[in-house]
Amino acid sequence: MSTSSPILTVRDLCIDLFTARSALRPVDQVSYSVAAGETLAIVGESGSGKTVLNFAPLGLMPLGVSIHVSGSIRFDDKELVGMNDEALRKLRGGSIGVIFQDPMSALNPARTIRRQIAEVAELHLSLTSTQAEARALDLLKMVRMSDPEARLRQYPHELSGGLRQRVMIAIAIAAEPKLLIADEPTTALDVTVQAQIISLLKDLQKRLNMAMVLITHDMGVVAGIASRLAVMYAGRVMEYGPVQTVLTAPRHPYTMGLIDAIPRAEDLPGSAFRGLPGMPPVLGPPIPGCAFVERCRHAVATCETTRPLLAPTADRHVLAACPIVNRSSEALHAG
Amino acid sequence: MLSLVSRRVRNSLVLLVLATLLCFTLVVSAPGNIAVLIAELRSPNASFADIQKIEEELGLNDPIPVRYAGWLTGALTGNLGISYKTGEEVGPALASRIPVTAMLVAGGGTVALLLSLVFGFAGAMWPRHWPDVAGRGVALLGASMPSFFVGALLIYAFAVELRLVPTFGLAGPSSWILPWITIGLLPAAVLSRVVRVGLEEAMARPFALTAVAKGLNRRAILFRDALPNIAPTYINALGAQTGVMVVGAVVVEPLFAWHGVGDLFLTGIRFRDFMVVQACLLIFISFFILLNLLVDIGMIFTDPKLRRQGS
Repeated sequence: MSTSSPILTVRDLCIDLFTARSALRPVDQVSYSVAAGETLAIVGESGSGKTVLNFAPLGLMPLGVSIHVSGSIRFDDKELVGMNDEALRKLRGGSIGVIFQDPMSALNPARTIRRQIAEVAELHLSLTSTQAEARALDLLKMVRMSDPEARLRQYPHELSGGLRQRVMIAIAIAAEPKLLIADEPTTALDVTVQAQIISLLKDLQKRLNMAMVLITHDMGVVAGIASRLAVMYAGRVMEYGPVQTVLTAPRHPYTMGLIDAIPRAEDLPGSAFRGLPGMPPVLGPPIPGCAFVERCRHAVATCETTRPLLAPTADRHVLAACPIVNRSSEALHAG
Repeated sequence: MLSLVSRRVRNSLVLLVLATLLCFTLVVSAPGNIAVLIAELRSPNASFADIQKIEEELGLNDPIPVRYAGWLTGALTGNLGISYKTGEEVGPALASRIPVTAMLVAGGGTVALLLSLVFGFAGAMWPRHWPDVAGRGVALLGASMPSFFVGALLIYAFAVELRLVPTFGLAGPSSWILPWITIGLLPAAVLSRVVRVGLEEAMARPFALTAVAKGLNRRAILFRDALPNIAPTYINALGAQTGVMVVGAVVVEPLFAWHGVGDLFLTGIRFRDFMVVQACLLIFISFFILLNLLVDIGMIFTDPKLRRQGS
């Protein structure tokens, strides 16, 4: 893991969403940091706030929702929270590249691949359209597209899902960003293509020395590419630490459950899925205690009333928001 | 793509032949004997022999297919028969009127095109702000007022009261303005909503979020990403509205005393001048078929999925 100072530092980030009918807080006091060349994976089930966490501060939210962001996001020595729209717009696509989940719908069906890639280079690198189109060709080679010249002339509907995701990656890295945010980049792809995309992302990251935030719920992807892992539940970070440690020795009951739920090769055919009992809390009124308390086997009375903060565990590189299990594991280690 | 276009052209030709049949049948099967009508026009106390003579002259006793063939070859060479009312050749009369109607529809189309793009785009650029609200208001007004009313209102305001433009007639650019606005307002209203709603829908699609993530500003996203996606829909609607304008010419031309095809058609109907009605119908139908063909080709060129088909 890189020990250089982080390029992205998120501190106590809270995001509130106000729709016409309701107010909710999908991101609640989240903190993490990522250094250049490092990959942070953010995992959690659907609705745990991982996408909002990354997209809302960048102004990438659907219309009709008003958003309040508090806390701090320092990126490349700039504070993103409260930054004006114009400055933020210059960062998007420039120093911060974004890859979306579904390459089928994320590309414009009415425009050629050439224009969709080239316009990023025109905007952020101030290239002429000829130069930018030459760069688009280089980028398609960089994302290992076969027959790149022909691809440039094509439209998205003429490409397969995997190829479209490569185009999406080419768009995201067109201006050589310092930070790449990938929102479930492999979820919509089939398994063989997933592996190719992940290895491509790894290579590009090394080549461009990008920091990367990977939003996923696929533990296989996490193990393959990330150096650090943040586990989110109901808008809060439950556990945060080096991937190897968190995956092999989870400290938080939620992480344990999540990892235990992954199907294993030794499972008998037809055996029941291991899942976490219960449902995630409905986002709405603030939860006074631990958000996971309803589904937790280890919960005690104070879990209902006092919110556990992210704190170092016995292994000081790993932080977990659960005093109960950590205390008992410390006791176990001591004994 | 070429095969797709040629297929559309072939279909249009087939349609055109069917349309000529329909035109012909309509007049043949119209109630009343044309020969009686003409005989009465020539002399109020025509005899049965006179009527028979006229029937012979017009070839009304020939078998139907022969009459159709005769009429069609005539029509193809511009000979559309003789007006029962005036006794003039219908062909030249029509030819002198087509440019007037074409000018009216083209002018109205330009008004509709400009207004709809400006209002639709402004509305999408600043949703729920004043350009959007104003555009919506104008669209509602334009769509709910019949053109004869709009025309009368415009004449009263700009010609009678303000005396900026002539009340009627066709003499120079100042006399074009009111008829163009009168005929173009309804299509402008409909099309501005097509643009506004289409752009809003396109902006809600995931590729618009990709464009935001690229760092493009809203105007660039509307122009580069949203607009190409509504082009096929817009061309389709523009075609339909051009049709509406051609029909509208029947009302607007008499209102401004423009002697166009619409005016001729109306007079033809009023005096049961079947040869004129038939000729006008033929022109209208041919134009609609051509219009549909152009719309189809336009959609093939603006929709990449269609464009790549059959190539």
